[in-house]
Amino acid sequence: MENCRILNRIVEINIANVKYADIELCGNTCFVGTNNYGKTSLQRAILFFYSANSRGLGIAQSQKSFEEHYFRYENSFLIYEIATEDKPFCVLVYRHNKLVYRFLDAPYNPDFFLNANDEALKIKEVIANVEKRGIYISNQIDTFERYRNIIYGTETDKQLSKFHLLKGNEKYQNIPKSITNVFLSSKNSIDSRFIKDFIANSLTTENSSIKLEQVERQLRQFNEKYMDIETFLKKESQQLVELIDKKYDQVHMLKGSQMELADKLGSSLRFAETQNESIREAAKQKEEELEKLIESHEEHKTSIEEKQKDIREEIGYYDRTIREANKKLKEYKEKNIEQAVEKNSEREKLQVELNIARREYESLTSNVSSIELKYSSLIEQLRNDKAAYINKINTKTSEVFNHYNELQLLQKNEYNKKDGELREKRDASLEEVTSEITAKQIEFNELKSEEKVIRNTRFYENEIKALETELAELRAVNYKNKSERAIKQNLVQTLQREWEQTEAKLKASLSNQVNTINNEIIKLKNEIKEVEGKLEVQHDAFYGYLEKNVKDWHTTIGKVVNEKLLFRTDLTPEYKEEAVKSLYGIQLNLESVDVVSKSIEEYQFEKNERLAQIRDLEDSLNQFQINNNEEKVLAADKYGKQLGELKEEVKVLAYSLELAEKREQKLIEELEEWKQRAGVEIETSLSGNRQKLNLIEEELSILNKKKNNLLNDFNVQIERLRVYNEERIAELKERQETEISELEVEKKNQVKEFEEKEEQLSKEKESNFKSKGVDSKQLKQVEGRIKEIQEELKEIEQYAQIVSDYLKDKRETFDKLPDYIQKKEEFVKTANDLTTQLEEATRKFNIKRMELNKKKRAFDEELIEFNNGINFYSNNFRETPVYGKYAEIIERAEPKRTNYNIMDLCTQLLKNDSHFNEEYGAFQRYVNEYAGKFRIDNHFNFMIRNDATQAEYERFAQNLRSFLNENKIELSIAETATQIGLVTDSIASKVKELSGQQDKISHIISLIAEDFKKAEFEESKLIEFIKIKIEESDNKVYKLLKKIEEFREEHGLIYNEGLFNTDFATGQKREISTRAVRLLEQLRSAIKEQDQEEIRLQDLFELKFNIKEGMNETGWTHKIDSIGSTGTDILVKAIIYITLLHVFIKESSHRSSKDFKVHCIIDEVGQISAHYLRELLKFAKNRNIMMINGLPNKSGLESHYRYTYQFRKEDNGNVRIFPSIVTEVEA
Amino acid sequence: MTAEDFNLPKQTHDIFAIMARGHFISSNGTKDGMGRLYDIINNPENFDRLQAYFNVIRYNIERGNNYFYFSKTSEANSIIEKKLETFERYIDVVDLFASMDNKITIGSRFRPSEIAEECNANVRLKQKLQKIPMYRSETLLNKVRDICDLMSRDSFLELEDEQSESYKVLDAYTYLLDVINAIAIYDDSGDGQGSGIIYN
Repeated sequence: MENCRILNRIVEINIANVKYADIELCGNTCFVGTNNYGKTSLQRAILFFYSANSRGLGIAQSQKSFEEHYFRYENSFLIYEIATEDKPFCVLVYRHNKLVYRFLDAPYNPDFFLNANDEALKIKEVIANVEKRGIYISNQIDTFERYRNIIYGTETDKQLSKFHLLKGNEKYQNIPKSITNVFLSSKNSIDSRFIKDFIANSLTTENSSIKLEQVERQLRQFNEKYMDIETFLKKESQQLVELIDKKYDQVHMLKGSQMELADKLGSSLRFAETQNESIREAAKQKEEELEKLIESHEEHKTSIEEKQKDIREEIGYYDRTIREANKKLKEYKEKNIEQAVEKNSEREKLQVELNIARREYESLTSNVSSIELKYSSLIEQLRNDKAAYINKINTKTSEVFNHYNELQLLQKNEYNKKDGELREKRDASLEEVTSEITAKQIEFNELKSEEKVIRNTRFYENEIKALETELAELRAVNYKNKSERAIKQNLVQTLQREWEQTEAKLKASLSNQVNTINNEIIKLKNEIKEVEGKLEVQHDAFYGYLEKNVKDWHTTIGKVVNEKLLFRTDLTPEYKEEAVKSLYGIQLNLESVDVVSKSIEEYQFEKNERLAQIRDLEDSLNQFQINNNEEKVLAADKYGKQLGELKEEVKVLAYSLELAEKREQKLIEELEEWKQRAGVEIETSLSGNRQKLNLIEEELSILNKKKNNLLNDFNVQIERLRVYNEERIAELKERQETEISELEVEKKNQVKEFEEKEEQLSKEKESNFKSKGVDSKQLKQVEGRIKEIQEELKEIEQYAQIVSDYLKDKRETFDKLPDYIQKKEEFVKTANDLTTQLEEATRKFNIKRMELNKKKRAFDEELIEFNNGINFYSNNFRETPVYGKYAEIIERAEPKRTNYNIMDLCTQLLKNDSHFNEEYGAFQRYVNEYAGKFRIDNHFNFMIRNDATQAEYERFAQNLRSFLNENKIELSIAETATQIGLVTDSIASKVKELSGQQDKISHIISLIAEDFKKAEFEESKLIEFIKIKIEESDNKVYKLLKKIEEFREEHGLIYNEGLFNTDFATGQKREISTRAVRLLEQLRSAIKEQDQEEIRLQDLFELKFNIKEGMNETGWTHKIDSIGSTGTDILVKAIIYITLLHVFIKESSHRSSKDFKVHCIIDEVGQISAHYLRELLKFAKNRNIMMINGLPNKSGLESHYRYTYQFRKEDNGNVRIFPSIVTEVEA
Repeated sequence: MTAEDFNLPKQTHDIFAIMARGHFISSNGTKDGMGRLYDIINNPENFDRLQAYFNVIRYNIERGNNYFYFSKTSEANSIIEKKLETFERYIDVVDLFASMDNKITIGSRFRPSEIAEECNANVRLKQKLQKIPMYRSETLLNKVRDICDLMSRDSFLELEDEQSESYKVLDAYTYLLDVINAIAIYDDSGDGQGSGIIYN
């Protein structure tokens, strides 16, 4: 039994193929057995005691796990017995779901675990069994970590702390690692990499490496973001953004207008469909109204015309009467009617005078009455004859006269008849022409009044009014929108300023914080430098002297000495025993004095504390930066969103203003068009009217001409007739007069004869009277007077008839003439009034008729337009893809009247669609080109699929716009800048952490080198020396990592500010940032190139060996393939392992813990010579290391081991392990 | 003598290696740092130096819209003819791409299967695809794949994601469009030979 702590025994109960094995290990042990007999399994079980890590035992992944393979049954136990200075204790390992431990405060006793039949007990029975014996058995230890803490003496639980193999320090983990590493290294060649791995693995945990995959991921993420931003900021990209923005607006506008048109089309269609019947009805109604109007007008016209006719008749009558009266009057005048009337008035008076004369004559002739009577009867006879003759002649004359008069009358009648006929004919013709003229005149008047109406009519009044209203409304909205836009633009500017101020504030605070923290870090670094300086020189300084030579100097000199003095190297201290408790001979009571000196650990602690402070500061700076960024993000979120929304609103307003402007322009154009159309309509109507007027005027003039010609013709005929008549009458009169004058001459001659006879008789009478005495002279006078009166009466009698007629006419007509004229005038006036009335009525009728016609025409036109539109829509639009695009809008539109017809809308939609397609194509091209500039999974999410829908393209443009509006690129830049900071920071801290171990490595290497030196090879002279040295790493990735760390150290965290900074004021920062980016890029490509998973501690340095064996010296090399024979190689390798193990155990165990031994498990040593083996075992023994080796078969080598166990496979497959009886030659 | 001696960018070799094979360097290319190479050539200072450098070996850098390529001074007519023959195939390809519902333009991302599907559903496109002479392509999809492969090799496309077989159209595609646009069709019916094409 050794008097030190050592793994004394391992017992396997139901472990793997071994049913029971009890193997002692407190000396060099050798396992002899053919391959696959379980040597390595047993060695693993031993290793498991040290490593307590079931995964680090070198079991291949394809094989069963340690738990599965070893602990197959619930009563499988591994029992380790550890010898101590006094009483051994046991460690019990079993499986309770997972592997667990219990400590047993007693040496191994098979009775604890086996029953009387040598069958293994279950754990509960074991515990009961042990407890029954009053032996302490610990609670179940569930974790490997806890177990290691106990076994390596760092457990704080007092009950368990005694169960330790050795007292390890904080680095005790290196011990199991080292033992494991030795076991797992089976390569023959000695490669510095292996040693490096060994050292590194022993010093580090699994996590203390730089996972390049992680770094690469970070770098890739950063690089991708950086590239995305770089792509975004490129001039060409910016140009594309502008183009996309512009095109999107255009496309949007076009789409909007298309949708508007589609809506209008839908409305028009619905309207047309719903209004078709009502329009038809309305048209019919208008037609009826028109008919009624015409009817009532005709009635009215007829009644007026009838009245006019009556009046005209009246006028004609009066006119005729007046004319005839005037004619008669004229005739009377021509016949000197006035004289005749005057003479007629004297008729009575003359008759009285005649009667008086006759009585006088009778009185005168009363004496000669017989003569008188004779002569009177003779004269009377003669007179009667004469009268008879005259009468006869007169009768003849009157006969002639009458005959001619009759002829004249006939002629006159003939004339009158012909004249009448002619006049009648003329009047008929004239009436015909006149009626035609009148009709034309009426038409002319109608047209004139129509023209007047046209001039007064406002064509397309509704449309123009609607447009004007719309225009006014649009202008009002425009005005409102403009002011709103101005307000919003102001708001945008204000927010922008606020944002900029906030950003500047954040930037300033970050910069202040960076400065403050950097200053603090610099201060701390200086302090660290100072501490490091102290630590560096402490060996050679007064401090080192005190540490080495003066026990507890801190409580004595440490209380009074100046710290600076402690680290001076020029004091050459000398120890004087006599002055040990005095200060230059003076003794001081230092109990109450505080210690001022510090231990190395304290300095180390101080350094670490400062380093921690630096880390804290850096962390706080990072945190600050993150917070700052978060604040930036918040500000960006707050302002960006608001700004984005506002900008969007401004854009919408601008867009709507633009639209409104276009709309206004369009409306103005439309209004102008309507006005023009109205003008054209007026002009067309007027020109039509004018043409008609001209035509009618022409026709009228032709008719008038015709009338005049007719009149002339007839007048000529009438005149001819009159002339002929007059000639004929004159001829008749002439003949009448001739005949009458002939008769008159005859009569005159005859009357003269009669008168001569009468004269003769009178003279005879007179002579008789004279003869009888009668005053013949007086008688003659009386007679003469009678004659005279008779003559006058005769003359009066001649005009008696005419005067009588005249008087009658006068009484009946002439005296009433003024009344007739008055009445005629009245009738003329009434006729005029009626004409005016008729004209007015006609004018009104015309206007109304025109209006109705117009309305009806409008309805008809609308109906035609609707039908044409619907037909066009069905035939030329419905089947096009454009319909498909806007079908929903068209179908859902409300019926509404629009200013556009369906056909125009369809055509416009089709036309616009081709334009839209062109524009959209360009828009898509720009979006594709832009998105194509970025990586497929860019962090801006600028991605568009090839089969993206229009909506997706539009969303892309919208997102891009809000991205720009919200200035998200700034955020991205800030994030990327933070990221570069974090990436470099993370790299720097990892590198720092890792390279912080380099000191330890150097230390270990120096210890190993030292140990190699101490190796006693003198005896065999086999190996002259083994030298080892450390060199800088040539790992490209590590070099770059180191560069980054240095860069980070040099520039702190500020360089990320210059990332993408185009401000020349901060040009230097930009340069630094560019360098940082380049470094990261280089690192990324180096990682890719090198294809290494991680940078471990071993990558930080290079190890070189120089081994001299016999005459062979390898020189400084990384790898020694073969120094000598295989045995030599194994030996050198084992020596190196043992040295390493020794160094690590020494380094990792507490100084006070010295009495312990550990095992070095090296499997195959079969090829080593006995001589070498002895050397090796001795070499190990000197370092308190027991060897456990494997041999394939007995070869005599086993004789050098204290324990030798043989392995045998039994028929049932179980392996039996039994000790071999050998004599230990040397141990 | 290295590139640095002429104060040339250190990527000169990479640039030459790509362009000397008759390939293009497009600004929207991502594979092998193509975008970066484009930026390097596009830098006016670099451009002049590179131009001068390559001119010595009778190469001329030609600048297109966001792409660069080499042209060779004084090339034999037979080589030009051969190039034109090779180019003829692209006329059909570009025609097919331009006839798709979603036109394939610069920056477009697509999968061969999408094109094949569309061609399958559209007789006109199918005929166009079938017209393109690509030997050994049994199915439409394989044919489209072959086309994409050919175009990728000629650096008009880039296989962006091998897993999803997603291609991106590079800026150099403009070159094809430009050349095709420069083709004038002339009517040669006078001599009974029918119409033909000439390259401007």
